[in-house]
Amino acid sequence: MSIEINEEYFEKLALTVIDGEDEECVKLVNEGLDAGVDPLDAVEKGLARGIDKVGEDFGAGIIFLPELAMAADVMKQGTTILDERIKASGEKRASHGKVVIGTIKGDIHDIGKSVVAAVMQANGYDVVDIGIDIDVDAFIDALKEHDADVLGMSTLLTLPLMEMEKVIIRLKEIGMRDDIKVIVGGCPVTQEFADEIGADAVGFDAQDAVFKLDGLMGVNRSRATAQA
Amino acid sequence: MKGFDGKLVGSVHPITRDECKMVHDAAIRVLEQGGVRCDDERAAKMFEDAGCTLENNRELVKIPEKAVMDALAKCPGSFTLHGRNDPTKDCSIGTGEVHFCTVTGRYIDDIRTGERRKVTRQDAIDGTLMADALENVHGLYKPVMWLFDEEMICNSQILTTEWMKHTNKPGTWVYNTGAEHEVSDLIKMWQIAVGGEEEMRQKPHMLGHVVVNPPRVIDVHYTDWLIGFCDSGTPLSIESALMGGATGPATRAGMLVQCMVEIYSLVVQSQSYKPGHPLAFCSFNPAMDMRTGLWATGTPEYGINGGGIAAMAKYHNIPVVGFGMSDSCEFDQQTAHEKALKNYNYALAGLSWIIDLGGTAGFNLVSWPEMVLENEMVAYIGEYLKGIQIDEERLSVDTILKVGPLPGSYMKEKHTRKWFREEFFMPELNNKEFFESWQRGHVELQEKAKQKALSILDNHQSPVAAEIQQELDSYLDFCMQRDLG
Ligand code: B1M
Repeated sequence: MSIEINEEYFEKLALTVIDGEDEECVKLVNEGLDAGVDPLDAVEKGLARGIDKVGEDFGAGIIFLPELAMAADVMKQGTTILDERIKASGEKRASHGKVVIGTIKGDIHDIGKSVVAAVMQANGYDVVDIGIDIDVDAFIDALKEHDADVLGMSTLLTLPLMEMEKVIIRLKEIGMRDDIKVIVGGCPVTQEFADEIGADAVGFDAQDAVFKLDGLMGVNRSRATAQA
Repeated sequence: MKGFDGKLVGSVHPITRDECKMVHDAAIRVLEQGGVRCDDERAAKMFEDAGCTLENNRELVKIPEKAVMDALAKCPGSFTLHGRNDPTKDCSIGTGEVHFCTVTGRYIDDIRTGERRKVTRQDAIDGTLMADALENVHGLYKPVMWLFDEEMICNSQILTTEWMKHTNKPGTWVYNTGAEHEVSDLIKMWQIAVGGEEEMRQKPHMLGHVVVNPPRVIDVHYTDWLIGFCDSGTPLSIESALMGGATGPATRAGMLVQCMVEIYSLVVQSQSYKPGHPLAFCSFNPAMDMRTGLWATGTPEYGINGGGIAAMAKYHNIPVVGFGMSDSCEFDQQTAHEKALKNYNYALAGLSWIIDLGGTAGFNLVSWPEMVLENEMVAYIGEYLKGIQIDEERLSVDTILKVGPLPGSYMKEKHTRKWFREEFFMPELNNKEFFESWQRGHVELQEKAKQKALSILDNHQSPVAAEIQQELDSYLDFCMQRDLG
């Protein structure tokens, strides 16, 4: 028996994000699609409402990083299924932008980058986390593969800092620099350094990263958002 | 904030021997069923030689309990970190003695200007001299994180030269920049500091840290160092770098299990490469701050995990050491209570080498007046550790009978004169003035600490022989020529 697409359905979908219930989310999304839900509505009236609430609660100190990260993950699983349908129908889902993020070559610190990725995701960005120890080619390949709007590079180490500049130089060489916003961060990254290598912004923590990204992408937020 | 309801009791180790066995069995289950990932063939070979199974293109190592137990049986129960050319500075590790060591930082609160700024080469010299002068500082971690006023290439070599030139106290080392010649150069410098390769093998003076990249990866750079440490006779400190809730589980027991998985794998790796090489388990494991993601070193979970690692070390008769620290971003009440509680707990749990003094904010900030204050904190901890010594004379029965009941005073008794200096603690800087006198006028504790630090910086001379200093300088020249031309 197919389910009914109504306000209750969208609320349930939002709740799967809030509660971090990935299996339930995938199940509801698939059932919704079978019942003819508009995939754009499923994202905007369902999943996005959930993640907005999560962002608010995190900002208010009611929930914590693991809950935020799980919600972002559930959101991602749901949108991955829905995006295929949206794409097929020729429509475009509203997103603040697609970010490819990774820790640069020579650096294996994982956690800060992952926290930043989760907080960005919970704030309405589509984030592809490509991991640690990422060289120039791997960054460029990922940006192309995911048709990204933003490149995020993280490092906690001083020695390989210049790897960041190499990626930016390559972007220029292959004519992609104007299409990609670059945000960098991690403890040794200063504003002066970011200016020197020609990055568009530096995030000093996850919240600041979202704030700066909003500035770059022209996102205007009127309410408290997910912040770390 | 949760309150202390007065119903909790203290215990020296937070887990019992039976519970140690449960943690051990759980860690073995993980090692046998899941194993660890290893990044290079040298490490794979070491594990293979120890009887482990290699899967997935030799990248996944399954470690049987027998390999763990065989390796543990080869580790000595104690070793000594020697003072360089100065036996009075020896620290024995694993015999129950507790020693305190400085910590490092990227920024410093400048003692003269009050400004917070990045650390420099002069700070490396100052920090070393401070640690050398303070009596309760028994060893040093690198006095500052990097030298921001020097080239990155050779940065560790310059730092090590200044360090070795200004103290004879033993030290602790975690790899720094990963630069090409870092391992061989630093080991060479440590050897120069004690007169040669064989001298260092006989009397090692550095503790070499090898860290597992959590969860469960044996990192190639740390294998470089493991080989360097073992070849040069440098005892190892082995640790997991897990952070509960991020790179480790979110229960205290689960954190301890994964710590042991990662520590056991390094025991197997190192004992396979060099059977009988001395090592210590090391505590380095906070829970993540769930709001910010911070590597939260000042937390009770971190301290209690250290107690758990100490219990496991005792269970296997292996020495144990650990990193302390606070999360405060300045030197304040929070720094004081986070450090005092953790360090006292560490000391009670029997950690032999506690790396903490003079810094805060998780390796970010150092201050020399703070090192002075924490020198005093260590004195307090030492007094607590002394406990109450019971013998006939100290029981004082004759004196008690002689003096009381009132009127009568112990003040003029020979027994008092004989014992008070030894039995009672007299802090150097902490306030012991009457309230009214203090009100009339006083010098703040911070100011007293600053004055003492300034006086050390103005007057303390390096104890290192001139020839050794020259030899270190020439080796540094060689490194700079080679790498910078
Ligand atoms: C794209 O836009 C953005 C925007 C904002 C961004 C961003 C990107 N990326 C980060 N941010 C910012 O937002 C995040 C959230 O608020 C923040 O991210 P953070 O990553 O800062 O915060 C995380 C949420 C929590 N923090 C962390 O996860 C890092 C904690 C500390 C203790 C740390 C850890 C855990 C580790 N380490 Co390493 N380590 C240290 C760290 C000391 C410290 N107190 O931070 C640091 C970073 N390590 C350092 C070093 C030197 C090293 N480490 C090394 C190794 C490791 C472990 C593998 C053992 C482990 C990592 C485990 C893992 N799987 O990630 C070695 C290098 C290995 C390598 N090749 O990468 C080694 C060389 C060994 C050594 N000497 O300690 C220091 C760097 C010094 C500097 N830059 O001047 C260090 C400050 C402390 C230290 N003891 O030396 C912000 O920086």
